[in-house]
Amino acid sequence: MLEYAGSQRAGLREREAPRLLAVVRSLDWVLLASVAALVVVGLWGVAGVTKFAVPNDPTYYLNRQILYAVVGAVVLVVAALIDPDLYRRYWRWIFGGTAGLIAFVFLLGHAANGSTRWISLGFFTFQPSEFGKLLFVLALAGMLAERQRLIGEWGTTMKVVLFAALPVLLVFIQPDLGTALVYIAALAAMLFVAGAPWRHLATLASVAVLLVAGVLWIGPAAGVTFLKGYQQQRLTCFTHPTTCPVAAGYNLDQSEAAIGSGQFHGRGPNGATQVRFGFLPASDTDFVFAGYAEQRGFIGAAILLGLYLLVLWRGLRVVTVARDLFSAVVAGGIVVALLFQIFVNVGMTMGIAPITGIPLPFVSVGGSSMISNLAAMGVLLAIHARGRASRRRR
Amino acid sequence: MRIVNSRLRLLLLVIFVTFGALLARSAYLQTVRAASLGAAGQSQTKGAITLPAGRGTIFDRVGTPLAIGEQATDVVADPMQITDPHREAKVAAKVLGIPFRPVVLALSQRKSQYFLVERQAPPAKATALQKRNLPGFTFRADERRTYPQGTVAAPLLGYVGVDRTLGGLETELNAVLEGKPGKEIVVSDALGQVVDTQQERPARDGRDVFLTLDSQIQANAEQVLQATVRQWHAKDATAIVMDPRTGAILAMAQEPGYNANNFPQAYGHGLTVDHAINDVFEPGSVFKVVTIGGALAQHDVTPNTEFTVPGSLKVADRVIHDAERHGTERLKVSQILQRSSNIGTVEIAEKYLGEAGLKKWMARFGFGQQTGIDFPGESPGILPSYWSGSTIGNVPIGQGVSVTALQLASTYAAIANGGVWVQPHLVDHVLGQEPPKLHKRRILSPAVDDELRNMLRGVVSDQGTAFLAKIPGYSVAGKTGTAQKPGGHGYLPGEYVATFVGMVPASNPRLLVLVSVDEPHGQIYGGLVAAPAFEQIASFDLQYLEVPPDLRIK
Repeated sequence: MLEYAGSQRAGLREREAPRLLAVVRSLDWVLLASVAALVVVGLWGVAGVTKFAVPNDPTYYLNRQILYAVVGAVVLVVAALIDPDLYRRYWRWIFGGTAGLIAFVFLLGHAANGSTRWISLGFFTFQPSEFGKLLFVLALAGMLAERQRLIGEWGTTMKVVLFAALPVLLVFIQPDLGTALVYIAALAAMLFVAGAPWRHLATLASVAVLLVAGVLWIGPAAGVTFLKGYQQQRLTCFTHPTTCPVAAGYNLDQSEAAIGSGQFHGRGPNGATQVRFGFLPASDTDFVFAGYAEQRGFIGAAILLGLYLLVLWRGLRVVTVARDLFSAVVAGGIVVALLFQIFVNVGMTMGIAPITGIPLPFVSVGGSSMISNLAAMGVLLAIHARGRASRRRR
Repeated sequence: MRIVNSRLRLLLLVIFVTFGALLARSAYLQTVRAASLGAAGQSQTKGAITLPAGRGTIFDRVGTPLAIGEQATDVVADPMQITDPHREAKVAAKVLGIPFRPVVLALSQRKSQYFLVERQAPPAKATALQKRNLPGFTFRADERRTYPQGTVAAPLLGYVGVDRTLGGLETELNAVLEGKPGKEIVVSDALGQVVDTQQERPARDGRDVFLTLDSQIQANAEQVLQATVRQWHAKDATAIVMDPRTGAILAMAQEPGYNANNFPQAYGHGLTVDHAINDVFEPGSVFKVVTIGGALAQHDVTPNTEFTVPGSLKVADRVIHDAERHGTERLKVSQILQRSSNIGTVEIAEKYLGEAGLKKWMARFGFGQQTGIDFPGESPGILPSYWSGSTIGNVPIGQGVSVTALQLASTYAAIANGGVWVQPHLVDHVLGQEPPKLHKRRILSPAVDDELRNMLRGVVSDQGTAFLAKIPGYSVAGKTGTAQKPGGHGYLPGEYVATFVGMVPASNPRLLVLVSVDEPHGQIYGGLVAAPAFEQIASFDLQYLEVPPDLRIK
């Protein structure tokens, strides 16, 4: 059984809120500073990889991305000030809203690259599944917190998994396999942090392995397909790179060529031919790490990865200072979702993870990703501050 | 108090392992594999392109272009970028006027990235195709060699095939004509569009060459030969026109000719060998100047030295006759030459020269060795390697030796030039370079040369064998030859080579013209077959070159 700072007082009643000043004094300034640094490095990266994306307008994407970062910063501040307990009390609404929003995409959605993930708001195409990551974590954490005393039981684990399956399936059929996997990773992390027994986790992991094997190999062998051809190819290519068709291996070849070309110091935006001349596909979104690494070299890659590590470490620290199980589970979910996205995205550009369409947090061009990630950081800061503040008062 | 538990430590471990893996992989790709990955990236964006150097133009001596580089376009396709092979192949084949099938087959090979649709296409057609904006097609400037004068001097000029020369002056002069190709680095984007070109080294065009040939004289000689071959149903004919004072070759013609632009077909028919330089033949009586010139030069005889010439002469196992049967008569040396007496010539050779003397004078006159003309594949001719008893009865009258028409022409040119042999040559000068240095050597003293030339004037007289070579207003000197053609075993019955070599005006020769007709039928004698052709060629050339007459026209 895990012990959290506020778990003795966990319950459904509203907590007494610490004063604003106390919250500000209890902020994790290191986390905030490293997130700020990450955003700056991300913008630096975007400035490079999009320099030649729009003819005669080298800052077109950078300007937009800066706007998103500013909006995201505001959202972060707001999220940091909101008492996370609010989410716990209204988790059902959040869950329903999230699932509804993602389902809504199918009705009003805007297809790009054969996938329906976006809703057009005129000036901005909004991607609900990006925000869904955070909302999914908040809602399931609320569900877990509600069943705090029943965590060790099979029924609880099964109910949570079944509940979580709805948004996962909705994202999966968009189709957005990558984001669906992020949801699953976050779910696993939350069960793990909430203290679900090892045998539950082991059983779920076994089922997951069987499921993956079924989808990738057994299903197709039996003539049943669950994945789109390109998804299947990317995933099986990852395990058998030498048998890959040219087209499926092209992205990875170009990505590795870009990263390798960067060498130690990077070639700069002007000299980085992989990005500049369009050899690297999706160089400002899914393969932004490769473009960044070509332009900024190993030094740039190390700085970026170092900042991620700092953020994740501070994020994990937030779990330990959380004042209750809900906060801890939320922090755990956010941290692992972030970790998973970073690993899968960066790893796929270097051939150590399968190729899925996941944006790189804080770097990939895109408003939804930037704003939702900053919001998640805001939630982490809020959890940290409340945890500190409540401990200080005692 | 901070609550830490094993699960969070495990999570921390996972984070560190993950980042360790990412960082290690990144370091590996960006250091260990950086060079090879960087090269892979570079190779797809940067490509070296050879900038063709313009080939120098070949002009005749007055600046008429004989071989020029014409703009052409190489049409290249990248099958990987072809969107609709069938449609694009159809359009390309139609616009360029090339067969459809090979194009559509090549364009359908999606794995290939390079297909040369047409090399050296006419620019007009290529431009028309370019306007169709077919995806995957690119156009490169190239040059195509053309020969604007068509048949004129075709075997001399040779040909430029795909990236290599195929004989003739194109091969001889390739080093100066070809220039030096330049290099350009082309940077292309992922769609194959060229985004930047970096000039590495500009192309240096080849130099222009001015020949000694005169296309008018050449064309006229070719026409005369064509008529001659037709008239005598001959196998072929060769003519050389030289300026004896300089060794400059003004024309070197042969019939049957061909259009220089159709070299490949002509090559298949064996027409591209230059007969005057690359082929040898038994000269017959024109060779008698070696014997008589040698004896004169040794001061063993004078033009007036008399010989008793019998009706036939037995030399070892052979009996020699003259062309016209006669009884025993007294002939001066000049008459022996004038009537082309075989018996008299052999008598002179036996009496004054012998084997050693003949060998010496053949070498002195340039036989058995290359003239050194600026043309590939020159034959040195064939001198007898073994002298039997009867050899002294053959060689003095031009049998049992093989010479090139060029050797004969240059020897007679030396006689025309006061006894000084000048290396025959086809290139007057290369633009921007010093004219080539020419070998000169004296082979006869001026006095002996005068005697010999005067005797040759006697040949072109009503008493001589070449009365048909006379040109009104000009004194002509020369020598006829009617040689049997050697075959596999002995001589071919009924097949002759009729030759005339002449110089005009004989008093101060400006032109040396050789005409040799191979296997004439109807008439076989040099004086009857070749001399009229000489007269036609020389008459035209004298007028064209505005050579003043040296005789009063009666």
